[in-house]
Amino acid sequence: MDALRFIGKRLLLMIPILIGISILTFAISNTIPGDPARLILGPKATPEGLEALREDMGLNDPLYVQYGNYMAGIFQGDLGKSTYSQRPVVEDLLRYSPATFELTMFAMFITLVVGIPFGVISASRKDRIADQFTRVFALIGVAMPAFWLGLLLLLFFYLKLGVLPGSGRLDGGMSPPEYITGMYTIDALLTGNWPVLYAAVMHMILPGITLAAVTVGMITRMTRSSMLTVLQSDYIRTAFAKGAPENRVLYGHALRNGIMPVITLLGMAFGHALGGSVLVEAVFSWPGLGQYAVNAINYLDFPAVMGVTLLIAVMFIIVNLIVDTLYFFIDPRLKHN
Amino acid sequence: MLLDVKNMSLSLKRAGKYSPILEDLSFQVKQGETLGIVGESGCGKSMTALSLMQLLPDKARLTGEVDLQGELISVYSKRRLEKIRGNQMSMIFQDPLTSLNPLQTIGTQIEESLILHTKKSKEERRSRVLQLLKAVGLPRAEELIDEYPHQLSGGMRQRVMIAIAMACEPQLLICDEPTTALDVTIQAQILELMNEIKQQTNMGIIMITHDMGVVAEVCDRVLVMYAGKIVEEAPVIELFQNPKHPYTQGLLASIPKLGERKKKLGSILGTVPTPGSMPVGCRFADRCPHVMDVCRNVTPAMIRIKEDHQTACWLYDEKEGTANGSAGSKQLETAFHH
Repeated sequence: MDALRFIGKRLLLMIPILIGISILTFAISNTIPGDPARLILGPKATPEGLEALREDMGLNDPLYVQYGNYMAGIFQGDLGKSTYSQRPVVEDLLRYSPATFELTMFAMFITLVVGIPFGVISASRKDRIADQFTRVFALIGVAMPAFWLGLLLLLFFYLKLGVLPGSGRLDGGMSPPEYITGMYTIDALLTGNWPVLYAAVMHMILPGITLAAVTVGMITRMTRSSMLTVLQSDYIRTAFAKGAPENRVLYGHALRNGIMPVITLLGMAFGHALGGSVLVEAVFSWPGLGQYAVNAINYLDFPAVMGVTLLIAVMFIIVNLIVDTLYFFIDPRLKHN
Repeated sequence: MLLDVKNMSLSLKRAGKYSPILEDLSFQVKQGETLGIVGESGCGKSMTALSLMQLLPDKARLTGEVDLQGELISVYSKRRLEKIRGNQMSMIFQDPLTSLNPLQTIGTQIEESLILHTKKSKEERRSRVLQLLKAVGLPRAEELIDEYPHQLSGGMRQRVMIAIAMACEPQLLICDEPTTALDVTIQAQILELMNEIKQQTNMGIIMITHDMGVVAEVCDRVLVMYAGKIVEEAPVIELFQNPKHPYTQGLLASIPKLGERKKKLGSILGTVPTPGSMPVGCRFADRCPHVMDVCRNVTPAMIRIKEDHQTACWLYDEKEGTANGSAGSKQLETAFHH
């Protein structure tokens, strides 16, 4: 019951946060110098044509009226029309976000399966070779710029070895699986389309690793430090005194106790990966939100920029809500207090 | 013999070099016997317990022989030791508040020993856990089994710790200050429980404590430790009536007695020397009221005063109770009484 009340409270809190974000992005996009109407009509536009388009787009209204109109649209599921693609923004978001979401989830998966065991090993072998190696590895991951790592990986695995594809979501000439979620791997899995599944996974490897490098580093370091504290606990000694083997103690007793700060950071890392996808998508020609957002900014496509920002904000908040809810399932003390 | 320890020494690496923590400990525990290990904080009592269990930090150097029921466990591999810990040899720790995993139910934590060391089925394990909870005097076992440590009081948690330790009916139970973190009435209850368990089973118990009251309550025989060494060993009554080592005398003099009017409680001046800066000769010399020249130069050997009473002090000869040096034994007894 407490967990439900907690979730409800957090969902209500989302509303002011989202309003805040929308005001902020709206204000920022509208203070950028430049005239969307001029960009759409090009250099040869007549003053009359420009004025008519501005009037048509509502650009002549006061800012608060524009904002009010925009918000009124949101509540009807209308995020406006992209001035660049000439399609409704909602449609564009549905088209591009699955690619980004899929890539981000894949990067999070890598982060989990690599970062947490690395952190555990690092903590249990403190100051020994495995620990030193992991720490250097994590530091490199955190410190290396994603676009540069992406280029290096491309150079090596795509150009030199030719073992992994370097751009796009599928091999050339391959048609995407039937649209269910928009995430190719999942759609291919659901429709049993194995060649497409294989291609989709292969295409995700390099951008996935690039995107995960930073978050793996973050999670490894957090897992290590959290585990080091937990391993000093009396109940860890109790577990060893029972005759439990080291791995049972590490993964059965210590990890669950040390995972809280790691999970919190994982929520942050998810946001980081969503933001980082802009660069990574550019390097790997990944047709996702990042690419869409960059184009939108270049063309002063305000409805598109607003749409992407709000979508990312909502995703980030939802992921963090899930993360916070996990606490209740991990720590029984929260349930009873 | 249940446990036979010969020349056990322990060094821990600190700031790049090994410093001795325990030196040359030799003692035995018989079946059904409770051996007390007493001494001030920092004298190596807990380290002795952890050395027996081989639950030491990575950078520890442990030498000597530990023989448990004819098995030389001091040379055992990690794997083989895991089979013994919690099975033939169990341990109860000082602080029951932090010694239980906060995220696991009481039942799961007791059950783990059974999973590790027995081939019992799930149902058998559950009934054994319930049986153990009742045996350590916990009420409403059926509900408790699914509760978490934070829902229990300190005394109850220590009972759970005892249940964990007793799960596989060990031959040797090591208790490291099991009552220190508890208030006095709970202490008495836990000691009573320990005595009950002792009578029901035939296991040997090592009771580590700094509380002479606990020693009197449960121990049959006592080792007195000082700065990582054994300085006196005697049966409990003998030790209280006829303490030989000046340190033991000091410890006993610092217990308040009922019905005795004293302005000030006896105390031992100074502090325990730290590992790494141990004095040459007798380690108690700097704090000893009877210190002689020889004490500061030569380490005293264990001297047998009676059949079952030994001490490491230059004041005594091999013969029974004879005092060496300037201080007579009569003076000795009063030396600490201010």
